[in-house]
Amino acid sequence: MSKAKVATVWLDGCSGCHMSLLDIDEVLIDVVQKADIVYGPLVDAQEFPEMVDVTLVEGAVSSQDDLRLIQKIRSRSKLLVSLGDCAVTSNVPSMRNNIPTKVLLERAYVQGADVNHRPPTDGVPTLLRHAVPVHEVVKVDIHVPGCPPKADAIAFVVTELLSGRKPELAGKVKFG
Amino acid sequence: MPSKISIRIDGELINAQSGASLLDAALAAGKFIPSLCHMKGLSSVGACRLCVVEVAGVGRLLPACTTPVQDGMNVTTQNDKLRRYRRTILELLFAERNHVCAVCVSNNHCELQALATRLGVTSVRFPYTFPRVAVDLSHRKFAQDQNRCILCTRCVRVCAEVEGAHVWNVVSRGVGSRLVCELNRNWGDSRNCTSCGKCVQSCPTGALAEKGFAVEEMTKRPEPISRLANLRGVHS
Amino acid sequence: MTKITDLSTFNAVREAGMAKLLPPNPRIAVGMGTCGSGNGAEAVYHAFADAIGQRGLSITLARTGCFGFCAAEPLVNVWIPGKPLVILQRVQPNDVGFILDELSAGRVPAGLALCRVDEWDHITGHVKYGTGLQEIPLWNEVPFFKGQKKIVLRNCGLIDPTDIEEHLAVGGYQALYKVLIDSNPVSIVESIKLAKLRGRGGAGFQTGSKWEYLQRAKTGQKYLICNADEGDPGAYMNRNEIESDPHSLIEGMIIGGFVTGATEGIIYVRAEYPLAVHRLQAAIQQAEEYGLLGDNILGRGFKFHLQMVEGAGAFVCGEETALIRSLEGKAGRPTPRPPYPAESGLFGKPTNINNVETWYNVAPIVVKGPAWFAETGSPKSPGTKVFSLVGKVLNTGLVEMPLGTPLKTFVYDVGGGTTNGRAVKAVQTGGPSGGCIPQEMFDTPVDYESLAQLGSIMGSGGMVVMDEDNCMVDVARYFIEFTHSESCGKCIPCRVGLDKSLYYLNRITKGKGTEADLATLDDLSRMIRDTSLCGLGQTAPNPVLTTMRHFRHEFEDHIRASRCRAGVCEDLALSPCENSCPLHMNIPRFLQLLKEDRLEDAFVSVVMDNPLPASTGRVCQHPCDDRCRRSGIDSSVNMREVHRYIADSIYNSPRFPDVVARVATLRMAPTGKRCAVVGAGPTGLACAFYLRMLGHDVMVYDSNPNAGGMLRYALPDYRLPKEVLDREVELIRLMGVEFTFNAAVPAVISLNDLDQRYDAVFLAIGTWKESWVYLPGTELTGVIPALPFLEAVSKREKVPLGKRVIVIGGGNAAIDSARTALRLGSDVTILYRRERKDMPAIPEETEAAEAEGAKLAFLATPHRILGGADGRVSAIEAVRTTLGEYDASGRRRPIPTDEIVRYNCDTVILAVGESVDIDFAKASGLKIKENGLIEVDRFTLETSRPKFYAGGDLITGASNVSNAMGYGKKAARNIDKRLTGVKRWRELIPAFTYNMAVPAHPSDAARHHVGELDAEERARTFSEATVGLTTVEAMEEACRCLRCDVRNGDH
Repeated sequence: MSKAKVATVWLDGCSGCHMSLLDIDEVLIDVVQKADIVYGPLVDAQEFPEMVDVTLVEGAVSSQDDLRLIQKIRSRSKLLVSLGDCAVTSNVPSMRNNIPTKVLLERAYVQGADVNHRPPTDGVPTLLRHAVPVHEVVKVDIHVPGCPPKADAIAFVVTELLSGRKPELAGKVKFG
Repeated sequence: MPSKISIRIDGELINAQSGASLLDAALAAGKFIPSLCHMKGLSSVGACRLCVVEVAGVGRLLPACTTPVQDGMNVTTQNDKLRRYRRTILELLFAERNHVCAVCVSNNHCELQALATRLGVTSVRFPYTFPRVAVDLSHRKFAQDQNRCILCTRCVRVCAEVEGAHVWNVVSRGVGSRLVCELNRNWGDSRNCTSCGKCVQSCPTGALAEKGFAVEEMTKRPEPISRLANLRGVHS
Repeated sequence: MTKITDLSTFNAVREAGMAKLLPPNPRIAVGMGTCGSGNGAEAVYHAFADAIGQRGLSITLARTGCFGFCAAEPLVNVWIPGKPLVILQRVQPNDVGFILDELSAGRVPAGLALCRVDEWDHITGHVKYGTGLQEIPLWNEVPFFKGQKKIVLRNCGLIDPTDIEEHLAVGGYQALYKVLIDSNPVSIVESIKLAKLRGRGGAGFQTGSKWEYLQRAKTGQKYLICNADEGDPGAYMNRNEIESDPHSLIEGMIIGGFVTGATEGIIYVRAEYPLAVHRLQAAIQQAEEYGLLGDNILGRGFKFHLQMVEGAGAFVCGEETALIRSLEGKAGRPTPRPPYPAESGLFGKPTNINNVETWYNVAPIVVKGPAWFAETGSPKSPGTKVFSLVGKVLNTGLVEMPLGTPLKTFVYDVGGGTTNGRAVKAVQTGGPSGGCIPQEMFDTPVDYESLAQLGSIMGSGGMVVMDEDNCMVDVARYFIEFTHSESCGKCIPCRVGLDKSLYYLNRITKGKGTEADLATLDDLSRMIRDTSLCGLGQTAPNPVLTTMRHFRHEFEDHIRASRCRAGVCEDLALSPCENSCPLHMNIPRFLQLLKEDRLEDAFVSVVMDNPLPASTGRVCQHPCDDRCRRSGIDSSVNMREVHRYIADSIYNSPRFPDVVARVATLRMAPTGKRCAVVGAGPTGLACAFYLRMLGHDVMVYDSNPNAGGMLRYALPDYRLPKEVLDREVELIRLMGVEFTFNAAVPAVISLNDLDQRYDAVFLAIGTWKESWVYLPGTELTGVIPALPFLEAVSKREKVPLGKRVIVIGGGNAAIDSARTALRLGSDVTILYRRERKDMPAIPEETEAAEAEGAKLAFLATPHRILGGADGRVSAIEAVRTTLGEYDASGRRRPIPTDEIVRYNCDTVILAVGESVDIDFAKASGLKIKENGLIEVDRFTLETSRPKFYAGGDLITGASNVSNAMGYGKKAARNIDKRLTGVKRWRELIPAFTYNMAVPAHPSDAARHHVGELDAEERARTFSEATVGLTTVEAMEEACRCLRCDVRNGDH
């Protein structure tokens, strides 16, 4: 049996969900036996592969780059999993949403700066007006809430997926 | 002397005090009907609509909190439609304000969160509104953060009905509705507030909290207030 | 003034009032409700007052309320003793002198008359005005009033609302007198129950039962409330009732008070109704002064006080519990029921709330009895209801009809249909919480249950008529926006649910919706309906649910095709003209390019939007004309003739080859894909052109020896010279489209062959089968179908045509046949079974045919064709018809009479409709619909067979050129998307840079009409009958454009 292709991606989040993913202990061995991690912060690949079976997404969609990336990922992934509250609810990244981006950047890079009093322009992606949950921009198949999601929950989701089942999380995970 | 009557809830025959609400009767019998605006001891306002149930022979859904029990009533509290509607209501609440639970003092001790978990919410279908709402830290002991307010009006009622101070009210209408202190004063400038903290203890979320607590540290105890209200016969 | 304490004082006041109503001299009463005043009644009144004073005339001048016909305001009643009361319409101050002249001379100004009233049944009383003046129609002979029964509006517009004596004169307070004398509250409640009077506020609860609850409540203080917080947009019946007849409300409430034991009454009225507030206040004061209200009513010792409270304008305060909270000085938010107001209402006391109109029904029931009341209306909903009929109808106003009257009576008979001849699409009943009822369901009786079944409600009686120009998605969005902003915010479903509903609706009207949004919207709406706390939330989703149920295709158009057919959703249309054009030509662009003197650019713009611009420039039905905003100023821009001019200028110029070369550069790189198009008519040509421009190889098959289809073989030369068509086909051929003629499908090439040889096949066969009417005599020699006739003439074949020709039909084929027959030297009469305005033919064509000498006979249905012994046609007999009820198409159904008209003739041309010869498709795996047309996906035009697409007449039935071409264009777009897997369409249309500013001074010239040859001259020849615009005229037309395509942010 060929191995499943699994990718992870880190959008606007703190990497806590990836940490929690690493916390699934011995299940990791199972995962590595059944799947190849083909893309993500944990591996080297630079370009998102053409066909991926499952992609776990951490983080909210906050910038133009996030948006383009997630759209590409969606078109190349069979199943998309929102992993953690930032992906599911936009969580902490959304706390800037009721401040206009221009005001926000001014506050951070002009008023709050000691040197170089201007918002960066080169090599930084343009912020979207709102940081939004992943499912507001592309279709998401499974939501795993939690900040971060408990390792148990992640282990359950991964195990179920690798066994070819769609995990049913309603009532099993804390929301909000 | 209130008499006993019997009603059927989800097929099970239970005894109830005549004059009691369906919700109280169900809770007394150990049945779970979700609710957020209801608090024992306070008047019922029927605002959150989470407690809607089906009553045989009635064409529409009825809120359990404001429907008095009647002998022989046959009530359904759980079915697919009710579960769907209740989940939708919770999703709407999350989408309305900025419930960033990860940074909330009441995280893990929040009735909204607990209910969402219990009713199986794993995401919100509706686009988040991200409104700009006020945070009032002017009170010496307490904080008010409308990002987390669900407009259940427990604070309004507990202050009026139990404390008798009438500090809280709701201003404006529709999605523009906001909790206000007196005639839109800062809480710290309130003339009526006795700083008793009943509103804080009654608040189901982190919208009203005591100062000095960090994330996840604030726990609430509404039960003593309910007991007090019952003792004083505010709303039995 | 005396207090009324007994029958003699009561009668004395009545007589005083009657003397005012029917004085010994002429009387003028000006209708001065808000509607009349808004239309200038104040000025009319003062003009009368001044003139009567100056001339020293013995004429009584008074004010009255409104008689209900808003569209004809200001209304003025004039009465000369002994004669009927005459209601004059649309009276202006400068009519005043004339009216006074006439009255002084003992005449009535009949020219201004709307109707006359010989006598009036005030229900509680009766007034005889006089007789005569037969030339003026009786009030209920006027279509607007026909079928109306004025019970609630019994006094409106006939008495002075500020004068209690006039009110008493027509029987006012008589019911109260009776109730107090009889002193039997239980029997009154019984009467109300027997009459089955239902609450007129909308919910339709039994009023008698409500009264009974209150009557039985055993507490000291009880309250009565009148809900006059009328807040529905478009509804104003309560306002008019109070403004025109405040005392009937007061009387109803006093009776209610006596019967239920309430001693305090409160009228909660909108502060936005200042005149109603003012008149009501004055009426309450008058009633108190006359001893009809207060501590000792009519000297019978009964006490009832009435006060008025002005509402602050919250829609939700129409909900009874919110209204009570508002009266208590609290925020107007509903509270849960139970407890019901009858148990614990205002200040916790037993309370009864009824709508204004409910109270108006009390006195009539008391006086006439429940049996009389139940005679009107339907068994479950007796009585009448006042509706405010507004929107896209000719006659707007207040209409009081028996409950159970079918909706179509309101729209067509009373309302008189639409103002602009466009088809009525729906009626919204019940205000913002009501639903939209589609035209197909206009047979529905208007009563509580029937409306509820359709997902709508009676509500307070608003009735908004909508036509094709209304977008139903936008209608839903509009009403949700209203309820969203009026939601009190107490319960979550209504507060947040409506907010999110509005989000989805906004998104759909912007063309950004998804099909998943529809499902979410449906779920959300049901949840809001089923779980909201009060009536506002429970009914707020009705507009969404009903429009999604009855007009789902409009939602799908917005989502899947980004189209709003009505042209309301601005984000989905470039301009009204572009939106209405089946080819979606960028009309403002070519007008602007021409204006900038860039003829060749203009041509490229035109031809890339429409590959047959010269032909369509002559024969298109030009829907753009109807939508052009310039028509609001003078008349629409003649867009069709401008693109004819642009096309002709290039086709006839030596630059033609260069321009062709330029168009060829726009062709995309070859894809190597092969496409077949079956049918070289306009649909097929359009599809072939675009497929070729998109880089595919295209072969067109046609059974005829030349391209053009109907354009070549059905359209006579005088409308479309064949050289023009040849030039256009040449351009398409030069782009590389190939043709195989004399190759019928499937006779010569089978569908399987096509399937094997091509990557995609587009079927575009026209409607070549002439429909046959089955009437005696069609087998006779001399009866010929229109299309073969036109085809034979166009092929220069000899057609045996008689001297006297009858054409049957009213479409373009009928007119073409008639004009062709005229040119062949015959005498022609067209028989059409409906009226002229119902003819589907282009109106200009009908006019041209008439100018050339064709005779038209309307309302004539052929009955039989008579023949001579030689088997040849000798005459035709037609049954004269009259117009009956409105049918499903919104036109009146012709009803045969006994009268038969005979026309002698030797030829009968049947032009009663064409259909597709569908036989070929049946055996080839193409799904056929019940109506005999090919089934396709509405958005992609794919048939049930893979690779095969169909468009034009094959899927719509007989249509017109531009519609058909629109399908060809759409098919090309979808075929290309399927073949290449990408959306390339937008890349095909070249970018033009041109001025994107609204013209500061658009030309104020009048519309330039196409030139026509002299009718007599042109009727003898097949040369083109019209002459296109000159350069100057075309340029000037372009300068008339207002540039609706320019958006705010564009400059």
